[in-house]
This record gives sequence, C-alpha cells and structure tokens, in this order.
Amino acid sequence: MTDTNTQTYVLTGATGFLGSHLLDALLQRGNRVVVLGRSSASESLAARIDKLQAWFDLRGRSGQIETAEVDFLKPLCGLDPKTYRALCKKAGTLIHCASDTRFSERNRRESTATNVDSLEQIIGFAKDSNAPWFHYISTAYAAGIASGHCPEAPVASERFVNVYEETKARAELEVALHCTKGAIPFTIIRPSIVYGDSRSGRANCFNALYNHVRSLYYIREIYRKDIHEHGGRKSREYGIYQEDSDILHIPLKIAVAHNGAINLIPIDYFVSATLSILTHAQTGTYYHITSDNPKTVKDIASYCEAFLNIRGIEVVYGIAPDTPLNPPEALFNRFIEPYLPYLSDTRMFARSNTDAATAGLIPPEFTYDIFQRCMEYAVGANWGK
Amino acid sequence: MNEALETAKNCRHYAMCKIDFLGSGICASGPEKQYVSYYPQGRMDLYAALAEQKISVTEKCVEIADSCDLCGKCDYQCCFVTEMRPSRVMKALKDHVARHIAAGGPVEKAADDLLLRQIREITSDEWATNDRAIAVTYAHDPCALAVLKMPAYVVLPRTREEISALMRLLRQHDIPWVVRANGTNLLGFHLCEGVVIDLNRMKDMVFDEKNWSVKIGPGVAAFDLQRAAVQRGYRVNVAEAAALVCGSMMSSGILSLFSAAYGTSADNFIDAEFVAPDGSCFSLNEKDAPNLFAFSKSGRQTPGICTAIRAKLHPMTDDEAGVLVPFQTLAEALDFAGNCATRRIGLAIGVLGAEYVSAFIAPTRQLAAEAREIFESRLGIACMVLVIGDRYALRSIKDMGHPVIDQRLFTALSLGLPSLKTANWLDLITELSAGDPFSYLKIKGFAELAETALAPSPARLAQETPRELRGFYEQLYARPEMTNLLWLNMFRITSTRVGRAKHFFPLLMYLPLEYSLISTLNDGFSRIGERHELKHEFGFVTPVDGGKRCIYEYDYFYDQNNRDDIARVQRATMEAGALIDEHSAREGTIRWLKHLLFQGYCRKENLLYA
Repeated sequence: MTDTNTQTYVLTGATGFLGSHLLDALLQRGNRVVVLGRSSASESLAARIDKLQAWFDLRGRSGQIETAEVDFLKPLCGLDPKTYRALCKKAGTLIHCASDTRFSERNRRESTATNVDSLEQIIGFAKDSNAPWFHYISTAYAAGIASGHCPEAPVASERFVNVYEETKARAELEVALHCTKGAIPFTIIRPSIVYGDSRSGRANCFNALYNHVRSLYYIREIYRKDIHEHGGRKSREYGIYQEDSDILHIPLKIAVAHNGAINLIPIDYFVSATLSILTHAQTGTYYHITSDNPKTVKDIASYCEAFLNIRGIEVVYGIAPDTPLNPPEALFNRFIEPYLPYLSDTRMFARSNTDAATAGLIPPEFTYDIFQRCMEYAVGANWGK
Repeated sequence: MNEALETAKNCRHYAMCKIDFLGSGICASGPEKQYVSYYPQGRMDLYAALAEQKISVTEKCVEIADSCDLCGKCDYQCCFVTEMRPSRVMKALKDHVARHIAAGGPVEKAADDLLLRQIREITSDEWATNDRAIAVTYAHDPCALAVLKMPAYVVLPRTREEISALMRLLRQHDIPWVVRANGTNLLGFHLCEGVVIDLNRMKDMVFDEKNWSVKIGPGVAAFDLQRAAVQRGYRVNVAEAAALVCGSMMSSGILSLFSAAYGTSADNFIDAEFVAPDGSCFSLNEKDAPNLFAFSKSGRQTPGICTAIRAKLHPMTDDEAGVLVPFQTLAEALDFAGNCATRRIGLAIGVLGAEYVSAFIAPTRQLAAEAREIFESRLGIACMVLVIGDRYALRSIKDMGHPVIDQRLFTALSLGLPSLKTANWLDLITELSAGDPFSYLKIKGFAELAETALAPSPARLAQETPRELRGFYEQLYARPEMTNLLWLNMFRITSTRVGRAKHFFPLLMYLPLEYSLISTLNDGFSRIGERHELKHEFGFVTPVDGGKRCIYEYDYFYDQNNRDDIARVQRATMEAGALIDEHSAREGTIRWLKHLLFQGYCRKENLLYA
C-alpha cells in the first residue's frame, strides 16, 4: 500500500509536538488533512491550528486543512449523526497521534480515558469512514519493564514504569484487536523520546529532555543571582561558587539505578521515518523509531555543563548517597524522579521493520552541537512560555 | 474632587487608627478626648462634611482641628490597611479651619437644651455634646445599606450606672438611641437621629486567671484584649483587630478561624452584663435574666447595652505555629478543612480564597494583585487552608500527606513577594509537579531554596511601598510577628486589607460544611455579582463544632462614594438574600448572619441546630 500526495489524512493530536510536525509535513507534501481534536479552555481547535500554521509558516495552505471539534469519549465522537456522516465522507487514512503523556498515577483515570477508552470511537470512525489505514503513534516504552532486546512485536510485558507506558501498551492491544476484527489495515509506530529539529534546533514543545536542562538553567540562575546580587551567603553554605572563568560550580549528585542510556531522536527524523512508514506500511506491523546509539546520562550531564557553564554534576549509580541532599540537588532530583527509568535504560529496540520501511534512514547521533542548537532555541523561545 | 477630599470620603471606618496595632503609636488626641471625632477617622468625616459644606465651623470643629499636630502616625496605620494617607486630610482640615478663622468666619457654638443638660448631669459636661462637628462623625457609614442620620447628641458614658441612668432618661423622653461600636456595622445599623452612645471610655480589663476569664468593658477592642491576654500567656477568641469585643458578640458572635476550636456565640464567654432599655440591669448568669441563650430565626429586639463580658481565656503552648495548605479546588480544600475539624486537628482552621490570602500578605494592592495572579495562574492554587496548631497538630497534617507552606516558607514568600513575579522557576515547579500538585513543597530544603531565589528582606519589600514610608515599612517588616502566621491570625491586623481597594459587603452565614451546598451558593452569588457588574469573591470558610457546620463568607465590592455602585450592591444583596432564604427554607440548616443580630450571645447549639 502506498499513499499519494492527493490523499486525505485524518489526524488526531495535531496540536501536540509529534502531531503538529506530522501535520506540517503532510501539508508540505500536498495532502489534505482533517484534524480531529478539542478546543482548549481559551481557544477553539481552529484557532489552535491557525497558530500552528503560523509557527510552521504554512500560510496559503489553509485550503488543505479542515478541523472538526470532537469528543472521542462520546458516541459518534460527540457529533450529531448528520455531521458525523458528512465527516466520514471526507475522511481518509487515520493517524492517531493524540495521547495523554503524563506519567502520574494520580491521572490514571484521565490517561486511561484519553489513551484507551477513546479508541472505541476513533476506530469506529475509521471503520465508518472506510479508512484505508489506521496508523497508531505509540511509544517505544510500551515495551514495559524489560531489559535488553525489545522486538518490533506486540507487547509482552505486563509490568510498566508508569501509567503512560501501561495505557499505551493497552492501547496497542486494542488497536491490533479491533482493527483486525474490522479488517482495517493498521500499523503501530513507536518513537522513543523526541527532541527538537536536529538541523535548526526548532521545537514547539519543550518537555522531557528540555525539562531537565531547564531545571538546571533555573537553578543556575538562582545561585548566580545570589552570588552576584546578594553576596552569595546561601551559595557558600552548599559549596556553590563562581569559578574564575565565569563557570558556576554547583555540587549536584544525580543518582540513577545503573549505567544505561537515554534513547533520543530528533523530530525531523521522527517525521521522515513516519512518512516513509506510511508509504511502505505493512499491515499489522510494529515500527520502532528509535536510536541505536543512545547517549548515557553522563554524556547528557556533560552537555548540560558545557551549555550552562556549570560544573559539579556527578552521576552516581546504585543506591542514592547517604549524605543529605543540598537544596538544588533535592529540587533537581525531585524533578527528574519520574524520568529516572529513562535515564538508565538498558532496553535496546529492534528496528528491522523500520529500516526496511525507511530505506535505512537513521537518526543523527545526538552530538553536543545538536544539543546546543536545540537548547539555544529553547532558551530563545523562553522554554515555550 | 481634591485629593484630600477624595481620601476623606474613602475612609472605610475600619477604626484601625483607634488601636496601636503597628506599635507606632496612635493619634494622641483620640485617647484623651475619646470621641471618634478626635481620631483620624473622625477628622476624615469632619473634613469631608466641611469641604462639602454640610456643616459649619463650630467650637468643637476648631478644637478637633487644633488637636492634630500632624505627627503622621495615621499615615502609617491607614497606609498599612488601605494605602490611603490621612495626614493630607488632617492638614487640609487644619488649613480649612485656619482660613475660615483668618477670614473672620463665624464659629458656631452649639445651643444648650434641657435634654443635653440632663444627660450631662449623668455623664458630666465633657462627655455629652450636640456640637455638629462631633455629631457628623457619627452620622454615616460606608455600608451600602446605611442611611445617613445626623444624631442630635453623642454621649460617652463611663460606667454601667451612667448607662442605666441614661436609658431611663431616654425612655422618659422617648428618644431613640443606638450604641456605637468601633468601626462599621455590617448592616449599617448603628446610625440614629436621637442619641449615639459611644462606649469608647469603658475599656476596663480585669483578668481572673484562676477562673480562666477576663472581664472587659464594652469599649475594649479585640487587639487590645488579645495583647493583654498574650502578655499573661493566654489567648482569647476575638474578631478583627479594631472590633469591640462586646459589640462583636452582640451583633454576630465572634467569627474567627479560632472558632474551629473555641466555638462561636455563647462558647466564647462565661457571663455578660447588660443594661436593659428600661434601665434595669441584669447578668446572663442570673436565674431571672432574659434568656439570651435562645436563638430565634425571626430575630429579636436589642436586649439593651452590654456593659461587660467575662470572656474565656485559652491556654497557649510554646510550640504553636501556622501552615498554609494549598489546593487546586475548593472541594478538596473543604474536604481537608472538614477532616481536620472532625479529627480535632488544629486550633484555627480556615479555607481562604486567593483574594484573601493575597490581600493579607501584600502591603500594597499592586503586590496583592501580582500575588493573586501568581498563586492562581502560575501555581494553580485555588485556595489555601490555614491551620494553626501545636506541634502534634502540625505533625498530623504532615502525616495526612499534604504539602504545606510552613512558617519559614511563608516568611520567605511574604518578604520576597516582589521577586515572585520574575521567578520563572515557579512555572517549572508547577509543570513538573502536575501529577502530584504542590509536591515540590515536600522537597527537603525547598524553603531554603525559596529564600535563595527570592532574597526576602524587609528592605526589599519596603521598596514596593510609598517612598516616604519605606523606612517605616522596613523597620515594621523586620519584626518577626509581621510575617508570623500565628501572630497575624491571633491579632488579625491584616483582615481589613480585604477592603483595601474598595469597601465590601460580606454575606456571612452558618451552614453545613458541604461542598455541594457551598459551591451552589458560591455559583449563585457569583452570577448575581456578574449580573450587577460588581467585583465579587469567595471569602473564607471556617469549620465549627467539629466540622458539622461552618462559617462561610462571600463578598461584594463597591465604591462607597459611587451612587450607581451602591445601588447595584443593594440590588445584589437583596438577590443574594433571596437566594440564601430560598436555600435556607429548603435545607433548614442555614443561618444567615442577618438573623443573628442582637443574638450573638445565644448557645451555639440553639443557633446551629434548633
């Protein structure tokens, strides 16, 4: 099955990081896109999409987009029958990108609703609209708690790091089951952790890796200010000082379970690989859009030190040190706590299906240059605030 | 309108200039002459009346103007609460009178009359007057329901016997009277065209520590009583700092966050003495006394004038402190507050809206607005529950798993308030704690980190206050009690900041501590406020009687000099009253404060459940 640039796509999650970049790419290549989604508290879906078009500089392509405000937790996606039928007629290949990416157990109900419960309506819509394909954007971490080799195959694990992984894994099973039952060709596309554009550094969302750097950035600002404007008494208490070369020394231990790596891919690679998979998709196939050359937490720590002009980050493995944490350490470690399993990950993701579908397209190595480019952009964009 | 007149007409009548709540002293002529006219509050009214040619220059007017030495103490006090600067008005008053005299203008002498002579036989000449300059300072109230009434006489009795004689005299002449408390009346009921009886001279306080009580006269203000009690190691349950304790008791009972532990209405006193309208005297502990412990929803007439109460003294321990527990929703906050009350955790408990918390901690309205924006929009705090308790209570709260703003962090936030708006890291901690809201407060050393980031200091905070008062504010905020949750809630000196930008009309009631009911009323009051284009805010909820009931306040704000605003708040209040009555009839468990007037001495059980 191949697609063409005249094909219509139905896209969910178009206002998110991955979805918005897919939307941009599909429009750039001339596809029509029907965006299904919700308004925010202050903006309609159309207004949100307009903003994205401005950010991606997609002026002049408005004719290729149609938006429909829907509620996937309601029958007929919350639409009246007539509107629903009309929407079905306009539809095409469905890319389901919408997701609740929060890790917290506290949000289990919402995560389950968004990631799992909504599938009944979404797959139903795909069926009612005779969608030629159903592509589900999942995550490589739906593999759950596993070590070593993770195949491009249905989830086998029953243990997960957090509710996000768990609900994505459940969703994969639902997609496979119901698409098979409904005779809808489907794929499961599993990216790892996605950062900005490796070429330009651009991003319109600054989560995951960005949060760690942003945390360190603010911690640095707090202590720099203390030293430069308030005499640095508080800084001295915790061994924080300004070195001769304008480098701030912050003793900051990061305790991770064991040596491992962080699997990061840039958004430009995610988009290219996904478009290629859409073109060469094999039904019932799983695709890992991951890196075979993940960086260790020590690599990333050294990138942070270089970028932020700080020193003193120490990565320790195993049990957290007995010594009490100083306030910046306590703050930083609290922030990275939900992400710890991803900082010492030993999972290696098979990607033969992806390699076959993408003609050997691989992600660029996550070098300091790319890191710097992305973080400079993030700082310039005030972390998206 | 000139600046002085505008300031004068905006006096809120909170009477904070009558108590030395900042330790900066009070206008010397006030305690000497006792009439409100000789305090800055009275001079504000007097100047406004003169400037608008509502009264002429009288002998007392000249005396009042002369009694001000422009010391500026009123600026410290009033600015702290309302940001207004009364000394400009004091100067304008003196200038006005001086110009009048220099121009050869007449100085009116109040005409003598029989009734005045008879009153003066009771009180002596000094303590009764019909001079218009004094009368006008008792003639109005910023309450939207108040109607201006110029009293014929103002009398300041000293003893119960004098009041008794006065009552008999007024009854004999069929002269209406009202008793004047310290500041405003919630419903504007202390105005009268007959005689205003000001009890300011009756400030006796006699402690009976063996019996855990203090007998106080009706002129004793909450702040002064609390100060005297604390000096002896006790605490009393009192209303706002300037409120007269007996007056609060008479009009509503004591409404405070400490009511969570100390109760309300009759829980707060041991005995009370009265002079009835016919001049007879009685004490509540007498067998034949009128039954003021009863409560009637249809209301009651005044039982007379309370001339003393024996208020309860409560013990204090040296490990008491306060914490603020933030919540994303009112429902969660009410649940927590109710849970604390049911389990008898804490001495004072209050669910405070973002408007209240911001107003209380910020010395200026600008900072208050910024604080509110930060609390609500950036930190996601819808409301906070304040709990005062000993170390065991505070440990229990910690065990309940709630993140708290402890005393240390509260001090950092208060003194570091100006740095909050530029603290970009606030967004990050909120985002990264989204799965477990406010969990960053549990990070060990977070208060210390906040201290580093906000660089809190009295000097920094003072930079946000008027230039010429910065030295004063710096010294003031260097005093630990000014950022101490326990002290601030015992002495309640910041409560009146709620009315800093505009005066407000509070809707106060007792009702079950149930989210669905409170939320319904909140929504209803909000819709009414919106419909009448009034600023409106949820105020506070304090559980009483182990959380079975609570005190709930919702406020409408209005410009006290704007007729349109006043008309709108009057209409809004009527509609809100109808809403309360409707729910009250349906639920049978709501007691609106309006019904409690003159019944604050009733048994709590009669009030809440009978």
